[in-house]
Amino acid sequence: MMNSSNGMISTSSTSANAQSPGLKTYFKTPEGRYKLHYEKTHPSGLLHYAHGKTVTQVTLANLKDKPAPSTPTASSSTFGSASGVRSAAARLLGGSNGSRALSFVGGNGGSKSIGGNSKIGSLGASTSSSSMINSNFDGKGTYLIFNVGDAIFISDLNSQDKDPIKSIHFSNSNPVCHAYDQDSKDGHDLLIGMSSGDVYTVSLRQQLQDVGKKITGAQHYNKDVNECFVSNSRCTGIAWVPGGDGTFVVAHADGNLYVYEKSKDGAGDSSFPVIKDQTQFSVAHARYSKSNPIARWHICQGSINSIAFSNDGTYLATVGRDGYLRVFDYSRELLICGGKSYYGALLCCAWSMDGKYILTGGEDDLVQVWSMEDRKVVAWGEGHNSWVSGVAFDSYWTSPNSDGTGESIMYRFGSVGQDTQLLLWDLEMDEIVVPLRRCPPGGSPTFSTGSQSSHWDNAVPVGSLQPAPSMRDVPKLSPLVAHRVHTEPLSGLIFTQESVLTVCREGHIKIWMRPGVGESQSSTSETVLSSSLKEKPLLSGKVGSSSYKQ
Amino acid sequence: MGNQFPEGERYFGLENFGNTCYCNSVLQALYFCVPFREHLLDYYANNKSTADADENLLTCLADLHHQSSSSSSSSSSFFFLFLHLSIIDLDIHIHIISSQKKKTGIIAPKRFVQRLKKQNELFRSYMHQDAHEFLNFLLNELVDILEKEARAAKTDPETSSPPEKIPNGLKNAHANGVSKEPLVTWVHKNFQGILTNETRCLQCETVTARDETFFDLSLDIEQNSSITSCLKNFSSTETLNAEDKFFCDKCCSLQEAQKRMKIKKPPHILVIHLKRFKYMEHLGRYKKLSYRVVFPLELKLSDTVEDSDIEYSLFAVVVHVGSGPNHGHYVSLVKSHNHWLFFDDENVEMIDESAVQTFFGSAQEYSSNTDHGYILFYESVNSTVKG
Repeated sequence: MMNSSNGMISTSSTSANAQSPGLKTYFKTPEGRYKLHYEKTHPSGLLHYAHGKTVTQVTLANLKDKPAPSTPTASSSTFGSASGVRSAAARLLGGSNGSRALSFVGGNGGSKSIGGNSKIGSLGASTSSSSMINSNFDGKGTYLIFNVGDAIFISDLNSQDKDPIKSIHFSNSNPVCHAYDQDSKDGHDLLIGMSSGDVYTVSLRQQLQDVGKKITGAQHYNKDVNECFVSNSRCTGIAWVPGGDGTFVVAHADGNLYVYEKSKDGAGDSSFPVIKDQTQFSVAHARYSKSNPIARWHICQGSINSIAFSNDGTYLATVGRDGYLRVFDYSRELLICGGKSYYGALLCCAWSMDGKYILTGGEDDLVQVWSMEDRKVVAWGEGHNSWVSGVAFDSYWTSPNSDGTGESIMYRFGSVGQDTQLLLWDLEMDEIVVPLRRCPPGGSPTFSTGSQSSHWDNAVPVGSLQPAPSMRDVPKLSPLVAHRVHTEPLSGLIFTQESVLTVCREGHIKIWMRPGVGESQSSTSETVLSSSLKEKPLLSGKVGSSSYKQ
Repeated sequence: MGNQFPEGERYFGLENFGNTCYCNSVLQALYFCVPFREHLLDYYANNKSTADADENLLTCLADLHHQSSSSSSSSSSFFFLFLHLSIIDLDIHIHIISSQKKKTGIIAPKRFVQRLKKQNELFRSYMHQDAHEFLNFLLNELVDILEKEARAAKTDPETSSPPEKIPNGLKNAHANGVSKEPLVTWVHKNFQGILTNETRCLQCETVTARDETFFDLSLDIEQNSSITSCLKNFSSTETLNAEDKFFCDKCCSLQEAQKRMKIKKPPHILVIHLKRFKYMEHLGRYKKLSYRVVFPLELKLSDTVEDSDIEYSLFAVVVHVGSGPNHGHYVSLVKSHNHWLFFDDENVEMIDESAVQTFFGSAQEYSSNTDHGYILFYESVNSTVKG
């Protein structure tokens, strides 16, 4: 029953720093190869200090090149302070030979452990860069924000630099979650939630311009100054309310979610009544108009593990220790629907772009697809060998068959787990309507069952939570691709137009280029691409071609 | 210990007498297995009045009753009973450091350990012992005692508490030619499950099913996996071929076959043993696998014969501390009244539920973290064991 995995493991655990021996630098999908393009990491000395205490999360921040009205210093001093960042970056990187030639080694990550030394330029697929100055910060660009131990690191997504360009260290507590709002009006666009329960809002631009290693210009909320701060429970999730004009929500390990307005002072007195029934959802509003947070949502008993707003901000989804997914109408503060995992806590959740589906992942090793229309689980993805820690829809994916027919709408989504694997999945509408168990690759030849019980189709009343479905009642999906991407358990993934990002708990990030992306820059000899992959899929956001679909 | 625990509950540390942590950690886990504890106390209550058929046993029981009622602590009486049941001298030296009203204290299971060593050669040395082997030994020993007693009781019609006969549903479990009548003791009721070993001959398609009972499931583990995944592998289909063919009764010859294990009757208490000590052929010795194997606080067994999705809740974990198989330490994590406690020999402390995940193991082979979950105790939340 034990199989080859033993051998796999012994080879993988040799050195943490090297480029993960035994791991492939590409994986195949029907539409082509995803290739390891860049890796991002952090000074390795931190790793052991942080071990087990925090789990790295990553946030993508697209810093627009626009003047920020309320922080005039930012735009006017961009160039001056850019050099400051340069020196900060140089210091951070240990001032090694930064003058190495621009030896850009294309998408193939195989040789990058050596090439990672060169510190120059932001040569990427999208910002085919004009920045000849040795600076990663030119006032715009796409950045990765990730937490490791007591620090927040910021890396340039489109640079081949392995090391971050900026680090922000915290003295009293560890940053554990963050969120970015690219449409922020006043420049305070980055939220940081701490393990102590404290919350900061800062300007990302300002952090990049500052040479120090401390947070700068931060607004501090839920500060432990006197006894009247609202929660000392660990932050577990943080999000800007879409279109909320600076409103944000913070989820905590005690099952509460607080609503803040960033325009209000963080130190205002805010107290909420005692929660009468820990098991019931309740919302309490602050008594004074100056208070911040302005509301407390008691959501569940035990920790809230992850939160996600639907794209338009109408709905808020939460998952938690109690294993329930809950979907709220955010503005009406109403519980709409939700349901229990097969078993165990749920750890992550994500919306489809159109708001029709929610993915969750958790301790039952399943990826769950929840339909907002049906208000129930419509599919379980089986394929992870451990807990599912990150889920996301690929919003840049368009179905190869969706051209004219309009019948089979297909969604592509991804999941990562503590089994160190990235899985990609396809979801077709008809697959859900007619639930049939796909035979898993190595599964049982004899015992598959597709029978449905009658209660499955019953209507679900509004505001009620579904009990855990029975194993045989839920249609199963099998992954399209399963790829072991890191040596450590994974904690998240993000789809971008050009790539898939994976991040592990210990703070290593890998950027996997989509098939066809960056091929022109890649000088890798081994890839003789079929012509179908050379068409330019990028502009439409459409990747892949129908010739690869079945 | 705070007020969050009920009046009667006691949390006693156990003194270590030279590498006896393997025993302490398992005893703590069993003590906080509530149905098991209740059965043990029931047993005591039912047996205290019987006449002295077995002098040693019953006089001891009387003694025990005396002591336990005077100490008025279910915890200490539990240990008396427990130690007694393993045929331990009852002159046990127990000292409870604090006054009776306190919830915590220390018990020194010295006699128990001495007796254990006398009883079984395996545990005699001062070397590091395996907690799983100890658990196995203990449960089987308890069964032996109860069966012996039951048989003795049957020959003596005056006995006030006849042992229970096997319930109908379980007859098949022992169907094939077991001469002596099988007894279902309360140890069985708590811990015993039944596995069905299904073999399908690839020649004639005949499925042969053989049942076997178990007190725990020993699972092979893989790096960065979950208990769910290990259980899945445990019951996954295996093909028997080449050297390892199956003798098909219908074909009357060796045939290729497919074999799989299914859980026919899930136990009330599901004990999962992670095979962290693995014999490495090329090294010629055992090696500890420090793999990270995550275990959820709730679990369901889905590969059961009835597809019935029995739900379990984790209530205890025996943890092996150390990097090698021949040395190290055992501690245990126990859930009692919705709080988690950490038992390290005589030390007892409360821990946060989230601290349980620090005992999953290491994602990298060389890690400073050497505290690894070794035996997991899950209790069924749907069914109850009573009778």
